[in-house]
Amino acid sequence: MSATSHEYAAAPILPAILPEPKRRGRIMGFIYRHPTIAFGGLLIGIMIFIAIFAPYLGTKDPTALAPARRLRPPSAVYWFGTDMLGRDVYSRVLYGSRVSLVVGFAVAFCASAIGTAIGLVAGFVRKLDAVIMRVMDGLMSIPPILLAIALMALTRASVQNVIVAITLAEFPRVSRLVRGLVLSLREQPYVEAAIASGTRVPKIIVRHILPNTFAALMVQATFICASAMITEAILSFIGAGTPPIIPSWGNIMAEGRALWQVKPYIVFFPAIFLSITVLAVNLMGDGLRDALDPRLAKRL
Amino acid sequence: MLSYVIRRVLSTIPVVLMVALFVFSLLYIAPGDPAAIIAGDQASPADVERIRASLGLDRPFLVRFGDWFWHVIHGDLGTSIFTNLPVTHMIAQRIEPTLSLMVLTLILSLSLAIPMGVIAAWKHGSWIDRLVMMTAVFGFSTPVFVIGYLLAYLFALRLDWLPVQGFSPIEQGFWPFLRTLILPSIALGMIYMALIARITRATMLDVLGQDYVRTAKAKGVGQRGILFVHALKNAAVPVVTVIGIGFAALIGGAVVTESVFAIPGLGRLTVDAILRRDYPVIQGVVLLFSFLYVLINLVVDLLYTLFDPRIRY
Repeated sequence: MSATSHEYAAAPILPAILPEPKRRGRIMGFIYRHPTIAFGGLLIGIMIFIAIFAPYLGTKDPTALAPARRLRPPSAVYWFGTDMLGRDVYSRVLYGSRVSLVVGFAVAFCASAIGTAIGLVAGFVRKLDAVIMRVMDGLMSIPPILLAIALMALTRASVQNVIVAITLAEFPRVSRLVRGLVLSLREQPYVEAAIASGTRVPKIIVRHILPNTFAALMVQATFICASAMITEAILSFIGAGTPPIIPSWGNIMAEGRALWQVKPYIVFFPAIFLSITVLAVNLMGDGLRDALDPRLAKRL
Repeated sequence: MLSYVIRRVLSTIPVVLMVALFVFSLLYIAPGDPAAIIAGDQASPADVERIRASLGLDRPFLVRFGDWFWHVIHGDLGTSIFTNLPVTHMIAQRIEPTLSLMVLTLILSLSLAIPMGVIAAWKHGSWIDRLVMMTAVFGFSTPVFVIGYLLAYLFALRLDWLPVQGFSPIEQGFWPFLRTLILPSIALGMIYMALIARITRATMLDVLGQDYVRTAKAKGVGQRGILFVHALKNAAVPVVTVIGIGFAALIGGAVVTESVFAIPGLGRLTVDAILRRDYPVIQGVVLLFSFLYVLINLVVDLLYTLFDPRIRY
């Protein structure tokens, strides 16, 4: 402080009274502040890596039958053993990650998009609000898994149909969330100011409403992604989901079901992968909620 | 109070109608023409047309919906395509295991999850709190059949404490009945427990910071009195709401749990119906569960006034 040679008294230089701030790299700092996002993100990253590079991770053709080598326990050759048709469970589980991730992300995206569109309409068009929300209430009164099951019973099994069925079961919740947000955002002074200054509705929606729904929407989308992965596995498990020819975690478990008391590994390996993936997505959602909206974090 | 109850009860009518409309549309757009199936391969188009008219299938959508709904509220859910039995009859046969499973799961989850949430909030930030929250996150993330298989493997196959599969009706003795349901209830209740423990902890944290809790402390109310009398009662509304909403997860999970543990309940009925494309049965079960869900949430809303006399709509 003796360095101040000016005539007026200078305020003490901050570092002199504050402890030296810890210097961290950007990445380390992020991990320190948001451990759950970092951990969840890392796990999801690993799963995405596995899904993309499944053919190069020491896998064989996941659908290749080899009846002579059926029901081998896990070993150095067959890491996760083989199933009742001699297929390599390790390869099937790795390829199975593709179905779960595609369904999870696709449903999260579609349900958010549809839900947001409907929520915006309900929040802005007063005449339609009551009608739309009654329809949503009705849809939400059917337990989501049952709705997805019923929809799958109507169509033939395919990954696209699974995505459509789970999306239809999930989007009403998004629309209710967005509508609620729109209704409260409309009362905000900056929106009133925008209306008063003659901004047109589409621009208000894009500039003022949508950006402010984004945080809550992201959190909701993450949880939808996790629940869609579980629903896909349940649908496949009970035989109403992904067609049996495609190795998905639910399908592998469904096939291992008959033999699980003697060969539990066929069920357990896909089960572990599914649980870890869903856990990762949920951790990410929890972390995002805490980071983006502290008020929400306190409530839940 | 009474006017609130009446209005709340009346407000379920549009929801019930909406659900019925969705479920009816399901059968309406289901592939396969019942008239053609009944007529058989040899029938001429005119025969099929006549049968269609005699079944009333040529009438407009809304007329058929009205007719169908009229039958539903009189307890007629149609006839199974596969067994030719009335759907209500098939449901009645299968309802006991499912109902037992759900009731036991409810008792188990509530009696574990609420104390867990309360203790986590009380010991906020401690290792108990972290443990409860960790358990809750795992409970969320582990699909019901994974927990089911894990429990069955450990406690039935390895330790041989409980039966692996099956169901024993309560008439054949309470103990065997309970033994077959313990593992399924734990598996099914995991998500539910996680949900309830989390919301209980969060609301309790909120309530414990309130002035009246400090007052209670100041006048010397014991820790248990504060937690379970002063705080928990005021935390009841959000907790009860989640109990109602979470019931959907319980219904969905029951379908899977029954498959894992070979329990001959409504869930198994649904799964069998899907594999056989027995639409009237699917429709009946979905309708029944949805009405149950609406009813439970109605009860929850009515309970609000009991827990929080300030609520007057």
